Amino acid sequence: MVPGLFERIAQNPFYVLGLAPTASRTELEREGSKLLSMLQLGFKDALTYRSPLGEHPRTEEAVRAAMAELRDPKRRLVHELLAALPASQTVPAAPQAAPELKWPRAPRVFGYGPKREG
Amino acid sequence: MSEKSLFLGIDLGTTNSAAAVFDGTQVHLVRTPQGTTLTPSIVRLDAKGSVTVGAKARRLLDLDPDNTRGEFKRLMGTGQALDFPAAKRQLKPEQLAAEVLKSLRADVQEQFGLAPARAVISVPALFELPQSSATSEAARLAGFERVELIQEPIASALAAGWTTHNAAGSWMVFDLGGGTFDASLLETRDGLLRVIGHDGDNFLGGRDFDHVLVDFVLETLSATQGVRLARADPALAAGLRKLKLAVEDAKIELTREKATSVLVPALQLGAHVLDVDVTLTRDDVTRLCTPLVDRSIAVCVRLLRHHGLDPGQLSRLVLVGGPTVMPVLRQRLQDLLGVTLADGLDPMTLVAQGAALYAASAGLDARPAPKLEEQGRRIWLQYPAMTSDLSPHVVGRLVEEPGPKPVSIQLERHDGWKSAEAPFNEEGAFVLAVDVEPRKPNEFTLRGKTADGKAIALKPSKFSIVQGLTLNDPPLSRTLGVAMANDRVNTYFERGAPLPARRTFRHETVEALVKGQQESVLRIPIVQGEYDHAHLCRLVGALEVRGDQLDATLPAGSQVELTLELDRGGRLSARAMIVSTTQVFEEIAQLLVPEATPEALHGGLQATRDRVTQLRTAAFRHGLTRHIEQLGQVEQTLGEVERDIGAARGGDTDAAQKAKRGLLEIDATLDQLDGDSKFPELEEEAVSAVSWASSLVSRFASPQEQRLFDEAVAGVEKARRARQVHELQRRLRQVRQLGNAAYYRHPDAWPEQFEHAASNLSSMTDLPKAEKLVADGRAAMARGDTTTIKRVTEQLWRLAPADARERQQGHNSSLR
Repeated sequence: MVPGLFERIAQNPFYVLGLAPTASRTELEREGSKLLSMLQLGFKDALTYRSPLGEHPRTEEAVRAAMAELRDPKRRLVHELLAALPASQTVPAAPQAAPELKWPRAPRVFGYGPKREG
Repeated sequence: MSEKSLFLGIDLGTTNSAAAVFDGTQVHLVRTPQGTTLTPSIVRLDAKGSVTVGAKARRLLDLDPDNTRGEFKRLMGTGQALDFPAAKRQLKPEQLAAEVLKSLRADVQEQFGLAPARAVISVPALFELPQSSATSEAARLAGFERVELIQEPIASALAAGWTTHNAAGSWMVFDLGGGTFDASLLETRDGLLRVIGHDGDNFLGGRDFDHVLVDFVLETLSATQGVRLARADPALAAGLRKLKLAVEDAKIELTREKATSVLVPALQLGAHVLDVDVTLTRDDVTRLCTPLVDRSIAVCVRLLRHHGLDPGQLSRLVLVGGPTVMPVLRQRLQDLLGVTLADGLDPMTLVAQGAALYAASAGLDARPAPKLEEQGRRIWLQYPAMTSDLSPHVVGRLVEEPGPKPVSIQLERHDGWKSAEAPFNEEGAFVLAVDVEPRKPNEFTLRGKTADGKAIALKPSKFSIVQGLTLNDPPLSRTLGVAMANDRVNTYFERGAPLPARRTFRHETVEALVKGQQESVLRIPIVQGEYDHAHLCRLVGALEVRGDQLDATLPAGSQVELTLELDRGGRLSARAMIVSTTQVFEEIAQLLVPEATPEALHGGLQATRDRVTQLRTAAFRHGLTRHIEQLGQVEQTLGEVERDIGAARGGDTDAAQKAKRGLLEIDATLDQLDGDSKFPELEEEAVSAVSWASSLVSRFASPQEQRLFDEAVAGVEKARRARQVHELQRRLRQVRQLGNAAYYRHPDAWPEQFEHAASNLSSMTDLPKAEKLVADGRAAMARGDTTTIKRVTEQLWRLAPADARERQQGHNSSLR
């Protein structure tokens, strides 16, 4: 998977902060601030968090980024939708059969691979 | 020493500086010995090397202009030293700023009885990294042990938010300083102050208003006295300084009067001695300054639109900075934005007040550490020094050391309220919620108990939390990244990213780096800007590794792990690790605003003019009326740039920087027009990309990826309808990323990529290695070993050559 997509799912701010998508603004600030304090003091409990994709390390940067995301009402809405999906649906599905590639040169045309063309 | 906390904030301004102190309850302005709250940012050095700062130095600007300097803030970070011929010395802008800070520090000591050790200093929101770094250096030179920087609009907003209770909704800070203009959109909700966005012009300020008025006076003198006078003439520099002071005074007078005179008897202007007596009316000021005012308002409107707001949705507008007292500006703001101006706030000291409040929220007490240390079992504490939360958490942990230790802890507020009693866990840590009283400092005492119930002293024994506003983490003002050899930018931190921040990426070198060879250099350019192309972004620093520093020769395609880190004030540190040898390099070779010579600027101007001509021809050919209009505006700006290049030839370094930025911004505008004219092509590309990616995403992506894809496709459609080139490009990147992720799950993807890479074998940088890889790949293909095919293909990509022209545009980067 291209870096960034797995992270986008695993780093859903609600998972990072250990909050439900219904958490209020005050709860978000309180929990974020508490986690930052705990991380600064190296609390074991704060060093990891769980997402449907497994357990991940929790860093101060991730907590700050999560708080910033959820403070913005528009961006929060997207994370609410993703975090509300049932856990069983979140793991990327394995391909069943190889479909025909519709446009095999497309990735290169779009800048992937060693050299762009066109 | 003061019993109360003392939080110091400093507004280090282009024209004037100010300081304020917050004691946990109230903000006090720091006064100069003359009793004023403003210290002119002017420094004089006499023949003995004695330094004079502030109002006294401003008076000498007239009498001894060669040894008296102001407006050096605009040169911060350029490394440009300023001459003081009488003392035979040259001082850098940060050394001059340090003299102003020392003066303010002395005023604090005089008024509050202690020399402050820590402070918060404000910087413009659009300051680049070298400028921020120079500000921190100035503070260090002035004797501060620790400083944090805060962006000026956040400081103003914090002060305005603190002063006005129950303020809610979206509002704007309009900050027009001596040298810079910042507009910030903010929101207060549930006690949280959030910066929604910034915009501004790093080279628009009160000084530009003075310049248009000085130009008017010079034109009048030229017409009435038959002499030719121009601001670009270096011979007029000394006389112009005097004239500018007189114009400044006239401008201030015109805030009350309808007309006044600019009077300077026997003014020496180059070879001429003139008695200046020019009438200036408020109407003149309105006529001359309206284009500048409108430029600032256009920035506000752009900021609002960018966030989907209309001016009518603003609940209020806070004015900051000396020039905002001009009646023409206030009237125009009310006319064009139709918003109420916030009353009762001092535009001259609001930033310093906010910086002091921020010092409290960062727990940056200015009082030097007490000489007598407390006794007791040491404990690390973490708590919000200022918060809007009425029940914040306090977190603590015992320091590992021998001796008796507590098993439980309780926190007692100064008025007797007590928290629950919390046990220390197996890590020696605790988390406790405390209740705080609104809008005041709450002092808490730590009460520890041992296993047998006895009290045990803890160190620190007390701490305080101020209940007020919660400020979100300061956002990064400009996107920061690393230029790649293909002229692309690898973004590390997006604009708006919360600070502090840290990020690591792996890159590969585009050519070999030979051990022992000094001229063999690995160059990692660090750039700031909002564009995908490195040449459109500003180079703010570079990390360079020379061959003679290396433990071993690095072949092309070697991996380099690069970490960039920004602290709360936006100070940058970088660390590059050569993965194969684990050798680490940390020194940033260059952290300066790049120099701009008049010759180079003139060349740039010429090239830009040629480009405008080409684009205009294309616009006429295709009947693009909007482009023709925009190109007209660009030409007008080019006229300003030309004037600045003229002033730069006259020795005005600041004008040179302004011209450089102007050219860069015009370049970006022209790129956008160029992109806009190719919009049909881009649209076609978007349609193809969406249709290609749809089939792959529907088969190979997870539900979340599919949802992200739907979101991206909706974004593509929206950007297409609104003809937003940059937004469409951004959304297309998302579509391609998702499509590409799905594509690489297809079993035929890697064999196909291998075949393509192998077809370019002859151009690879290391032919023998490439040939071997292709042979390995062919064997893997025969046995259907996808893992090896993938590995081989990735290695072949690393051997592809970098394009020389793209590399030069990418600030000569050695990375991909």
